[in-house]
Amino acid sequence: MRAAFLVLWVLSVHAADPVSYQRNVQPILAERCQMCHNARNASGKFSAASVASLLQGGVSGPAVKPAQADASLLLQVISGEKPRMPKAGAPLSAAEVATIRRWIEEGAKDDSSGAATTQVWWSLKPLQAVQSPGLKDPWVQTPIDAFILEKLRANALAPSKPAGRRTLIRRVYQDLIGLPPTPAEVTAFVKDESPDAYAKVVDRLLASPRYGERWARHWFDVMHYGESHGYDKDKPRLNAWPYRDWVIRAFNEDKPYARFVQEQIAGDALFPADPQALVATGFLAAGPWDFVGHQELREGTVDKDLTRVLDRDDMVATTISTFTSMTAHCARCHDHKFDPIPQQDYYNLQAVFAGVDRADRPFDDDPALFRKRQALLQQKQAIQRRLDPLLDKVEFATSPAIETLDSSIQDASLLITHMGEPKTPAEAAQKKELETRRTADRAKRKQLVDAIVGPETYAEIERIKAEFAPIDEQWKALPKPRLVYAPTSYFQRAGTFRPALQPRPVTVLGRGNVRAPGKPAFAAALSCVSGLKARFDLADPNDEGSRRAALAQWITAKENMLTWRSIVNRVWQYHFGTGIVETASDFGRMGAKPSHPEMLDWLAVWFRDEAHGSLKQLHRLIVTSAVYQQASTQREDGAKVDADNRLLWRMNRTRLDAEAFRDSVLAVSGKIDLTAGGPPVQMFFFKDDHSPVYDYARFDPDSPGAYRRSIYRLIVRSVPDPFLERLDCPDPSVLTPKRSTTITAIQALAAWNNIFVLRMSEHFAELLRGRESDAAAQVREAIRLALGREATERELELYAKYAQQQGLANFCRVLFNTNEFLFVD
Amino acid sequence: MNRRTFLWNYGGGLGGVALAHLLARNAAASGKGRPELNGGLHHKAKAKRVIQLFMSGAASQCDTFDYKPLLIQKGGQAWDPGEKVELFQSNPGVVMPSPWGWKQYGQCGKWVSDLLPHTAGCVDDIVFVASMMSKSNVHGPATFMQNTGFILPGFPSAGAWVSYALGSEAENLPDFVVLPDPRGMPPNGAANWSSGFLPASNQATTIRVGTPTPIHDLRPPKEEGFITDESEREGLALLDRVNRMHAADRAGDLRLDARIASYEMAARLQLSAPTVLDISGESKATREAYGLDESITADMGQRCLVARRLIERGVRFVQVWSGADNGFPRRNWDSHENLAKDHGELGKALDKPVAGLLKDLEARGLLEDTIVYWTTEFGRMPCSQGSKGRDHNPFGFTSWFAGGGFKGGTTYGATDEWSYKAVEKPVYCYDVHATLLHAMGIDHTKLTFRHNGIDRRLTDVHGVVIPEMLA
Repeated sequence: MRAAFLVLWVLSVHAADPVSYQRNVQPILAERCQMCHNARNASGKFSAASVASLLQGGVSGPAVKPAQADASLLLQVISGEKPRMPKAGAPLSAAEVATIRRWIEEGAKDDSSGAATTQVWWSLKPLQAVQSPGLKDPWVQTPIDAFILEKLRANALAPSKPAGRRTLIRRVYQDLIGLPPTPAEVTAFVKDESPDAYAKVVDRLLASPRYGERWARHWFDVMHYGESHGYDKDKPRLNAWPYRDWVIRAFNEDKPYARFVQEQIAGDALFPADPQALVATGFLAAGPWDFVGHQELREGTVDKDLTRVLDRDDMVATTISTFTSMTAHCARCHDHKFDPIPQQDYYNLQAVFAGVDRADRPFDDDPALFRKRQALLQQKQAIQRRLDPLLDKVEFATSPAIETLDSSIQDASLLITHMGEPKTPAEAAQKKELETRRTADRAKRKQLVDAIVGPETYAEIERIKAEFAPIDEQWKALPKPRLVYAPTSYFQRAGTFRPALQPRPVTVLGRGNVRAPGKPAFAAALSCVSGLKARFDLADPNDEGSRRAALAQWITAKENMLTWRSIVNRVWQYHFGTGIVETASDFGRMGAKPSHPEMLDWLAVWFRDEAHGSLKQLHRLIVTSAVYQQASTQREDGAKVDADNRLLWRMNRTRLDAEAFRDSVLAVSGKIDLTAGGPPVQMFFFKDDHSPVYDYARFDPDSPGAYRRSIYRLIVRSVPDPFLERLDCPDPSVLTPKRSTTITAIQALAAWNNIFVLRMSEHFAELLRGRESDAAAQVREAIRLALGREATERELELYAKYAQQQGLANFCRVLFNTNEFLFVD
Repeated sequence: MNRRTFLWNYGGGLGGVALAHLLARNAAASGKGRPELNGGLHHKAKAKRVIQLFMSGAASQCDTFDYKPLLIQKGGQAWDPGEKVELFQSNPGVVMPSPWGWKQYGQCGKWVSDLLPHTAGCVDDIVFVASMMSKSNVHGPATFMQNTGFILPGFPSAGAWVSYALGSEAENLPDFVVLPDPRGMPPNGAANWSSGFLPASNQATTIRVGTPTPIHDLRPPKEEGFITDESEREGLALLDRVNRMHAADRAGDLRLDARIASYEMAARLQLSAPTVLDISGESKATREAYGLDESITADMGQRCLVARRLIERGVRFVQVWSGADNGFPRRNWDSHENLAKDHGELGKALDKPVAGLLKDLEARGLLEDTIVYWTTEFGRMPCSQGSKGRDHNPFGFTSWFAGGGFKGGTTYGATDEWSYKAVEKPVYCYDVHATLLHAMGIDHTKLTFRHNGIDRRLTDVHGVVIPEMLA
């Protein structure tokens, strides 16, 4: 976090500071020069991609002469009245030229972290087998402890003492399942003297269905899962949840990570016999979707193209940052300014997704039925592909006379819609007249269109349509399919939203502008991963599924160091609060560097080769380590040397996240409903409309389904749940590698006054009254349930007095608001 | 965790938000506005706060502030701007003159339509940007763009950025407040005022003016009968006490102290919020100026007045919406079908309250350092859609600014003779946002937040301050 803080200051160049090549100059060159002058395509044999190549220059000699700004060719061509460069676009701004001038005058120093071209950035170095430090110390219980201890010693620090058992069990429960332990579970653990007492708890939690529910939520943060489209007309996405259930099940069944990744990108193509592998592709469709842009904008317009480019951008950004922690989306408008990702790579990734749109896709749980239906769908799609061009012929038939009729029809439609239900006889008469006119116009229009299209085309359309009949017969005989919102190349036409007959052509876009198409793109992966071929060998490049399959194989290849480092770092982050690399979705030059690089590599290799991608084994390794089991108490010596605790000389105290807080309140009140899976619960008042109404204030927290875990609520994009939002639940349209944790007055008001907390306080009180009859005993039981410990004499006195005077429910409300309830030591 | 890291994590970093307020509201270390810069962050600020008026659904420029005699001359004739016109829904209709007449106003002689006669009376305080453009002609993306600078969801709104940059001046009120139209949410809903990837402490607080519970969770719901004034008071005291006992065993964790302080602040907010919403003490003249006693202007008038009361008490950014979503019956400015009727009603509801607000701010000496910023997501076409409506026009529309260091009585940029395309000094929201931040003492290129590999800004990679707009 310090790195991130510093970046903010460094980026603004102060007059007194020297100009930095990496931070100040290189971004300008990347954006304005490198489209033509780069290592692969060096116009004039000149590349502007590194200091070395600037000094070397091209056909006209060196571009930069250190300390001689006026004699430097680079400066000559970019400044003056009519600068010769850049050839395309506006000249560089005066400030940009001044920055480059100062950098040259200051000696043209290369401060890029090992200059882009010469040294490989840490995250792109191949994974090497690392030995865990062979420390003989009784504290070391797992290999990761040795890595941590070695670094602590180097900084003259010692680890902290182990946490007490009550602290430890609450910590590991909240961490692994997002719920508190029951008093009986605490007592059993405290009393269990067997050496594997803790290991048994860990095993039990990892085997619990609640584990998948907890860790799926982390996954949804990272890849921005939502259950409405977002934008205008934000309709609920009622068939997204099978993917949500797939993720929960994948965690619970400990699906090997490579397979976990492959199914989400291309399960339908790679494992065509497995219905659940199709459901998994819901990953690619989980982000926002512009309903109006896709369904209402007219084909062939600039805005339509833009809608599709941005739709694919979401798929690229989500896939690459989630699985490889690289920021490929930064190369949409120009070559990546800091990392070796050319713009071409970015558009090649767009081409991977150019054959799909997001829509409901039928599937069946029964594999035999699934195969049968998918075969029928393929037949239908083949017919549709022949039919669509003919339908387009009818739809786009036009002439001046047709256009006139269109205007008239539209005018009538506008006025009819605007009028709504007629309120007076005059209005009713007017409406009738408009409708009559429109009907007549439509009939005339049809005649004109028919004359253009001709009877042969209509006959052909009918012939092709007839081919559907036998398939539809078979379809009707099958039970109703289930639906999942997923990427698909075949779906029902709706408005102007139609499937692509083949993957849509993708080109590089100059400065990301759809009006400036450039070189064609071809489906491929990132070119910066050594040892893996970026370009795919596809038997049929028009088979869109094989494009996604190839990307999935590339990401999960043993050689892809990014993938394996990325996932072990994410898991580490959720256990400790901060990753080994603090920027979990940015392993590039602008991201943070690992605090323990050898340990990161050891974990990545171990996870890939020894654990075979088992996340549960990774969790077990981490939570049974000595470093995880430390106390979280602050220490003077540690705070002095390492205030951020990057070296982990103690455990980090964490605040419950929004969902864990809500779920814990439900659990402690005795109300939680642990039903797993199925359609989401609408925890708001809903009224469908042009833009539907989602009102959280008008929802009764005792409604059916309202006691279910937060993972099962319907996640709306346009109107987030204000209660959870105030507890830092992220915007479901944002990729969130790590949540922020804020503390505000508005948040305090939510925890103190929200009707959910108040109702649960009453339910909790009722539960306590059912168990104990005097106030002291009720308080004791409440503290066991909520905080997992015995009450102290002092607090017993305070709480019991308050409970007696103001009632138990008020006491429960206070308890839910305490720091001890919200923070985990 | 040291203090600086702590501020980063829990206060939001550069802007030093929640924690700076909670722990040391005047701490210079927090990175908030600097007193020697009049509260600015990077240079001397002229403005300290903003009231943004957002016309949801796209308010027409050629029926309000963009006077084109050619539309009157050629009214009813076929429209030929000399190129193919790409419309959102329709084929271009005939040239359609505004249903309202036009007059010149003020010293500056600005032409304003008869739809907005009261606003017209303030033109000498207003700088119009007549050459606005949008990157999308679809309501959702375009409304995002005007709010956040991006045509995608998930980015922080201007209000959240200002909150992040400057924090609050108000002791007991939030930094950023939104007053939605009572008829409903605009397209994109609350995502328009999202804090995106900025810390949740920069979230907007929505106030539903004129409803029984204007602020969510400000008070416990009445039906929860177990809560009394006494249980409330004693309960907060008890919470404070046990939280302090808990923190005593965990020295050095500032978050625990901050959470204790957050309940004290919350209690103050509970006291101050109803006061700010209580307009019963306002004078008859004020009620009259805002149109509170006429049914058509009562709602907008009340919300404009509340906006004034909020900024008067130090709230940084208040966003007032005119219009809800694009549904039927029409309840926003999206007048595809019958512009005279729909713009007519919305304009009437808006006009007097906005003029009342400007004059009231001026009379109280607040206009000097308060920016009033009127905008919409795009404009409307000079040709008709059907016989009585207008389709979307992303190529040219008008926004305006008053107060806070802006130069009244001027118009920046221009559309062509049709009011179709911005031709003179065309601008996107980037330049306008850059100028807005500039007036607040913020360099838009330095107000950044790192998210997923990019130092994000309100102005993306664009934006140039427009000196001609500033006094």
